[in-house]
Amino acid sequence: MKLYSKFLLIILIVPIKVNAQTVIDITQGSEDPYRLAIIAKEGNQKQTQKVLSIVSQDLKRTGEFYIFDNKLLLSLPQTEEDIEYREWRLLNCDFILIADIQETVAGIQLSYEIFDVANKEKIRSSKVYGITDRFRQLGHYASDGVYETITGIPGIASTRIMYVTQTSDSKNKYQLFIADADGLNEQLLLRSSEPIISPVWSPDSSKVAYVSFETGVANVFIQEIATGKRFSVINKKCNDCRFNEQISSPAWSPDGKYLSLTLYQDGNAEIYIFNINKKLLTRMTNHYGIDTESKWSNNGRKLLFTSGRSGSPQLYEIDLRKLNKRPKRLTFEGNYNAKGSYLPDDSGIVFVHRATNKFQIAIKYFDDNFVIPLTESKMDESPSVAPNGNVIIYAITENNQDILAGVTLGGVKFRLPSASGQVREPAWSGFLN
Amino acid sequence: MHLTRSISILTIFIIFIASCSSVQVTEESVRESSIATVEVSTDDSYSTSNLAMSVSATVYFDFDKFNLTSRSIQALRGVVSTMSENTELTIVIEGHADDRGTREYNLALGQRRAESVADYLESNGINRTRLSIISYGEENPVDASSNEAAWSKNRRVEIK
Repeated sequence: MKLYSKFLLIILIVPIKVNAQTVIDITQGSEDPYRLAIIAKEGNQKQTQKVLSIVSQDLKRTGEFYIFDNKLLLSLPQTEEDIEYREWRLLNCDFILIADIQETVAGIQLSYEIFDVANKEKIRSSKVYGITDRFRQLGHYASDGVYETITGIPGIASTRIMYVTQTSDSKNKYQLFIADADGLNEQLLLRSSEPIISPVWSPDSSKVAYVSFETGVANVFIQEIATGKRFSVINKKCNDCRFNEQISSPAWSPDGKYLSLTLYQDGNAEIYIFNINKKLLTRMTNHYGIDTESKWSNNGRKLLFTSGRSGSPQLYEIDLRKLNKRPKRLTFEGNYNAKGSYLPDDSGIVFVHRATNKFQIAIKYFDDNFVIPLTESKMDESPSVAPNGNVIIYAITENNQDILAGVTLGGVKFRLPSASGQVREPAWSGFLN
Repeated sequence: MHLTRSISILTIFIIFIASCSSVQVTEESVRESSIATVEVSTDDSYSTSNLAMSVSATVYFDFDKFNLTSRSIQALRGVVSTMSENTELTIVIEGHADDRGTREYNLALGQRRAESVADYLESNGINRTRLSIISYGEENPVDASSNEAAWSKNRRVEIK
């Protein structure tokens, strides 16, 4: 019997647009939100309202904003001169956004200004140029600007998420999707009859890497998002490696030149760094325990991974500039700490943590010696941190249904319910703009 | 491989910050990117060995463990004797895990379970070249429900 004799038959590429299947649902919001009035200037009001409704939804979705119902406003100022700050203070309004859309030959243009009621001053004046009829993208860009000016943290409405779905349709059982951060605008990257796991974005978000079982064994592929061009990262015939060609767990270095991978060539999971251009492999771990799930620190100096060397899965870190040193153990609480990743500023790690019988998403800052659980369900998995470091998306299982959920470091919780199939393995892109 | 591509509209991106006031002034352009879909199909009708003789067995493991239990070893003794008598016989050893814990760790765990079985067979005189190892991690459960009974059935190595 031959193991690797399943043939790759067809690779077919078609741009497919799938109707949006997911809607964000806030389960727990902030107790002290920013209170914002959003006003469309008269003139092109209908178009402006369209974009502003996207801005409003994006901001509400963060759980950190209260948006006024315009019927309750005492006036609808069109310019800075129209604003009676005292009136807005009485309404307990923190910020006013006034916006206006212009349509030109080149496309649409949104102008907006933000006013700070407490300090009675204009704090932002911006223009966003977009493509005609692409109101959603324009709205996401504007909302990111508003969010950043008010909270001081970059917004993520214009970033994207990737995830795997599984359905009972045997031919297209596994599908890899990309969608906007709000779960809409879902687009198919890959479909297969065999499992797809561990998708990750390249640092510039133009490519993805993932593990596909399409040849009958786990193997790592890189795929260009725009063209669908894909290749298996290591094409080797295994002569000397005890019949184990399995490769898994890809993670991109911050400069995009390397992938860390898990190879099983000598009978056990070990971590390697693979130079993508030169096709060179460098071994990073050597232990009889399982070593896998590597992730790079954002400064590129460290590699985080899960190891079973202590008897249960725990997180360890390799200093890439001190390879002669033994990996440093980072987690000591709980009997299962796995699939870790660094926060964007490398101040701590987010991971799957098991205390008693629950698998939760948890965070540990390097300055602290304790673990902070962020979620409370029983089977939370696969956390991925947004590029602003403020939101974590993860997979939960509820009534035998796998869905995606999110939590902000401020405690806001939301979920992305799916109309069909199991949704899992979420991965957040980097900033796209 | 056929490639179709959709049009990619790109991006000019300008930000400038006014230097003489506290107002943040910006200009930017929305970036649009195109996406292509790939479809992968596998053919299951591959040729299998013509040997009439085959061996199949399943052995089970504890949570997060890959060591063989005495009960597993009883089953594997049968595999050893069949394979010793039929020297042409080759087998696939397929490792699996339950769905608790992370997918990649479970993939590695399934592989270690398969490896434990292979090590046992090898130490009992079966040549390594007759053994193929593969792990599916938690991806191919026997029972997809989420309870102890299902989990214990899913933590297994299948010999085919």
